[in-house]
Amino acid sequence: MSLKVSLLLDGQLAPGEAKAALEETAADPRLRDRYTVYGLVGDVLRGNSTPDDGFSARIFDRVRKEGVRIERGYDPLKRDE
Amino acid sequence: MAETDQDAELVRLAQAGDAKAFEALVVKYQRRIARHVARYVRATGDVEDVVQDTFIRAYRGLASFRGEAAFYSWLYRIATNTALSHLQREPGDVLLGDDAPEERAEAFDPGVSDAEDPERSLIAKQIAEAVQRALAKLQPELAEALMLYEVEGKPYAEIAGMLGIPIGTVRTRIFRAREFIAKRLEPVLDVQRNRRW
Repeated sequence: MSLKVSLLLDGQLAPGEAKAALEETAADPRLRDRYTVYGLVGDVLRGNSTPDDGFSARIFDRVRKEGVRIERGYDPLKRDE
Repeated sequence: MAETDQDAELVRLAQAGDAKAFEALVVKYQRRIARHVARYVRATGDVEDVVQDTFIRAYRGLASFRGEAAFYSWLYRIATNTALSHLQREPGDVLLGDDAPEERAEAFDPGVSDAEDPERSLIAKQIAEAVQRALAKLQPELAEALMLYEVEGKPYAEIAGMLGIPIGTVRTRIFRAREFIAKRLEPVLDVQRNRRW
């Protein structure tokens, strides 16, 4: 399964396979760690070794607390005034 | 990286409401976006705030992403605008100068973005050293495939052509290289078991 995690990270899975791999990865702590570490390896090779200290979890805490939703018509590229 | 289409499926799933797919994109790109934001913003804590804002804006605006460009390019532009908006509100946090053109920011290398945090900086150094040690012990054909993909940004198909091997072999070589390095990173890396990704 770790091979599929590697392929998921690189967008190498067909649509149906990607969804299944995503669900399996999200449900398995070991696979989630692998996804994170494989990504970290690439970042280190490109010169950035900052560890993930729960950053993504903090983003989704904010998403939940603030009730953030996908909004039709919202343009994220528009600068705040 | 050759990223034009590689996130298309995760983006499609995220747009359809699959939060796990968006989390996977956050995990994948958080460090690259943080490094980009650190070109503009001085304080480490503010870098994280701007990166968080970037991903939240991206999430809210997912419906507007049409896939004309790579997802990372879109995210990168959102991060740039979010950082510039932050600097308008917090001019004391500026790293380059308020009126610095974007082009100058693109050329600016901040070095380690967590220089204000010695502990994070030390961990980052240990991780980098562990990866380099593992890379030195890796079979050359595995290291070659991994470096072509991660550092040179070559797509799988191009790597297959360059090395004269089937694309399936590229897939397994990159995976085996990552797995080899990941196993040697385990003693160094305190992977947080309770995080979502």
